[in-house]
Amino acid sequence: MNQPYMNQPSRRKFLATAGAGAAALGIAACSNAPSAPGSPSGNTSKNSTGAMKNYGVGTQFKATEPLSFSILMLSNPAYPYKANWLFFQDLKKMTNVSLDPTVVNYADYSTKQAALINAGQAPLIIPKTYPGQEDQFVAGGAILPVSDYVHLMPNFQDKVAKWNLQGDIDTLRQSDGKYYLLPGLHQNVWVDYTMGVRSDLLDKLGIPTPGTLADVENMLLKVKAKYPQMKPFSDRWNQPTPGGAFLQMMGDAYGTNAGWRYQSPNQGAYWDRTAKQFVFAASMPEYQQMVTFLNGWYNKGLIDPESFTQSDDIALQKFTSGKSFAIMENAQYVATDQAAMAVSGATVAKIPVPLGPSGNTVVGSRLENGMMISSKAANNPNFEAMMQFIDWLWYSDAGQMFARWGVQGLTYTGSVTDGTFALKPDMDWGGIHPNAKTKINVTYGFFNGVFAYGGSTQLLDTQFGPAELAFQKVMDARTPLPVVPPAPLSTLQSQQMTLTGQTLMSYVQQQTLQFITGKRPLSQWSQFQSELTSKGTGSFLNIFNTAYQSYNKKFG
Amino acid sequence: MVTAEVTTPVKPAKKAGRARTWPPQTRAYKVFRVVNAVILALVVAAVLFPFLNVLAQSFSSEKYIESGQVNIWPRGFNLTTYTHVMNDPLFWNNYRNTVVYTVVATVVAMALTTCYAYVLSRHELRGRKVLIGIAVVTMFFNGGIIPNYILVSDLHLRDTVWAIALPNAISVFNLLVMKTFFENMPAELEEAAAVDGMSTYRILWRIVLPLSKAVLATMTLFYAVAFWNSWFSAFLYMDNQGLFSVTVYLRNIIESASSVANIQMSGDTQVQIAANIQAVTTVLVAVPILSVYPFVQRYFVSGVMLGAVKG
Repeated sequence: MNQPYMNQPSRRKFLATAGAGAAALGIAACSNAPSAPGSPSGNTSKNSTGAMKNYGVGTQFKATEPLSFSILMLSNPAYPYKANWLFFQDLKKMTNVSLDPTVVNYADYSTKQAALINAGQAPLIIPKTYPGQEDQFVAGGAILPVSDYVHLMPNFQDKVAKWNLQGDIDTLRQSDGKYYLLPGLHQNVWVDYTMGVRSDLLDKLGIPTPGTLADVENMLLKVKAKYPQMKPFSDRWNQPTPGGAFLQMMGDAYGTNAGWRYQSPNQGAYWDRTAKQFVFAASMPEYQQMVTFLNGWYNKGLIDPESFTQSDDIALQKFTSGKSFAIMENAQYVATDQAAMAVSGATVAKIPVPLGPSGNTVVGSRLENGMMISSKAANNPNFEAMMQFIDWLWYSDAGQMFARWGVQGLTYTGSVTDGTFALKPDMDWGGIHPNAKTKINVTYGFFNGVFAYGGSTQLLDTQFGPAELAFQKVMDARTPLPVVPPAPLSTLQSQQMTLTGQTLMSYVQQQTLQFITGKRPLSQWSQFQSELTSKGTGSFLNIFNTAYQSYNKKFG
Repeated sequence: MVTAEVTTPVKPAKKAGRARTWPPQTRAYKVFRVVNAVILALVVAAVLFPFLNVLAQSFSSEKYIESGQVNIWPRGFNLTTYTHVMNDPLFWNNYRNTVVYTVVATVVAMALTTCYAYVLSRHELRGRKVLIGIAVVTMFFNGGIIPNYILVSDLHLRDTVWAIALPNAISVFNLLVMKTFFENMPAELEEAAAVDGMSTYRILWRIVLPLSKAVLATMTLFYAVAFWNSWFSAFLYMDNQGLFSVTVYLRNIIESASSVANIQMSGDTQVQIAANIQAVTTVLVAVPILSVYPFVQRYFVSGVMLGAVKG
């Protein structure tokens, strides 16, 4: 029943409205004079109540008086928020800080986040914000340019320097040269998505684990020859773009942008490191090669004709019932897919991301979701203490260990640094000890996505089983590609980009599938390029290249 | 003879005409009825199938669900997920909230809508058109979410039932239906009551409302269903999950069903819950409001028709 008074807009509609509101407000708030990126300009001398005087790397933060900070608290249905979690109790003992949460459910977190920020009623700490999500709030002036205050965060600065993350951080900068998000920091690029296969059949057929795209093709051909009724590759994750994970993997192997990476962050604007400018991904020769290669797979019957259009459930049903051999996987899904296998003796394993013409490289960001700070915080008398608290809990080794694994002796033993870390046998997280009754996230509030993310590779490895560790070891040996330089768009440029970029992206996605599945002959590739030109690739690229040059001129 | 010959065939024809039922029981009509019945049966099946499928999935085991073998009958009867959800105190807490919000908000909404509609139905009222205009304009324009949020917040209504009940208390659609219903009531009834010395309020309470059961039942159902299904107000104005409605709980489960299983559970239980937690929660949330319909269906149909005649 559609009751008009109930006024329940869709999330997309709401975000569009909220974004427009923020943009409108921004007209009055864009007067920040440009300053050099990273230069500390925030004066906090009057807001240091409760802050430690000698706080630094390796120091245990403890506020000099009891403090409370408001926080937007995501309640994950897997471990619903509990005010009496041991995490909060121990945090208070260690830091003299208690958190005052506004609890929001997982499903609508970003909607409520946008409503609170745009209404000017956001809590001081706004976690679970992915790079790029902060853009819509910058113009409104409701969130703090945290780059002005990172001098209060020694652990953050230490990790940025130690892990050479400044280039990654620079990608967050807005057109005023500042960044508004404190991201999660990873020591190395963490690659998760790759092709997953029936490893029991690999063993049975004596096929070695493939390393390159050619190896993968051979593997699929052998499986097809032995099991003609089985679909060699039948994929899922066709939302929001068909073949999202698969085409992303293929694009990376060919040195272009496709699939999910085409969509985000730049809608097909690929950074050409040699020419030092953005080029249109679907017009690159590498893109054509990728499409031609996949058309070959399709013609050989290696790709299920429904692969790009079916739902995740259908794809999974095919895989778990033994009707297909390979599917895209990530570490989390491998475990659940293995548990759901209906074929006796079937095992599932991720293969190393297959290498292609772009060589032994790995593509990805070392930044993870992080937090925004309400601009009201800068006037809070405890602002400096709050920044120290954030720095300790989210960026210090001790804080990250506490947030992730809890308390030594109670939830874990040993140490990460010397490799002796072990979750106690009566504790479980992610099925490490499946029979243990105590889940450290459900019972104690540790390993909560709000507080535990990022960190050193050594720390990250503690959460993986042997198979995933072996996968990560292979991936860590590859060379990460340099990050794309910042090209922050103004509000006007962003609107122009949305108008042209969306049209181009839809057309490219549609035509890519047409070429792969042979519905459009590859001989029409140059005609396709003319169509793209007429749809505005020139003006689209101009927006990014102008933004890049403008930023480079100001701050480069 | 001639006359008889002429009139005889005419009279039976007239009699046959009087006796004939409409529509005519011709062969074509019979075929039409059969086709009609088949088509309507297919429509009913198409409408019922999703309900039955969800119901069947909620009682089925994951192997049959994952392999797409569950249609309208449970396969591998399994209550693991029901047990899991029903053992979650937050589910029952949110369920209770939904009942409270629905009852309070419906009572408030009915009281305000009835009074407003009755006032608007009085043609002798001065400024009546202005009052109608005030209501109708909100169908086309509203302040938007953020101003509403600020208003509710500044009135200190957040984290109270009033944040759900008051902003949605008057549905203009329902208001106009009720107004039309009241306008159609014979004026003589109220005039007679007035002559007998009844005040306006007593006329409303003693005369008008007892004669308006159909529209009252219909509007109560409209409001109750809408408040029961509503999630946005609870989501937006409640900052404590102990105050969320069960629809917010359901929404959260549906959006993140896989992660529930991934992290909280293990082994077979994990897989089973991931497979049908959406179906189970949907059944548990939908059944109470579905079961209300049969009891008010009679009023529901007549109430809508009455309101619609001059709407």
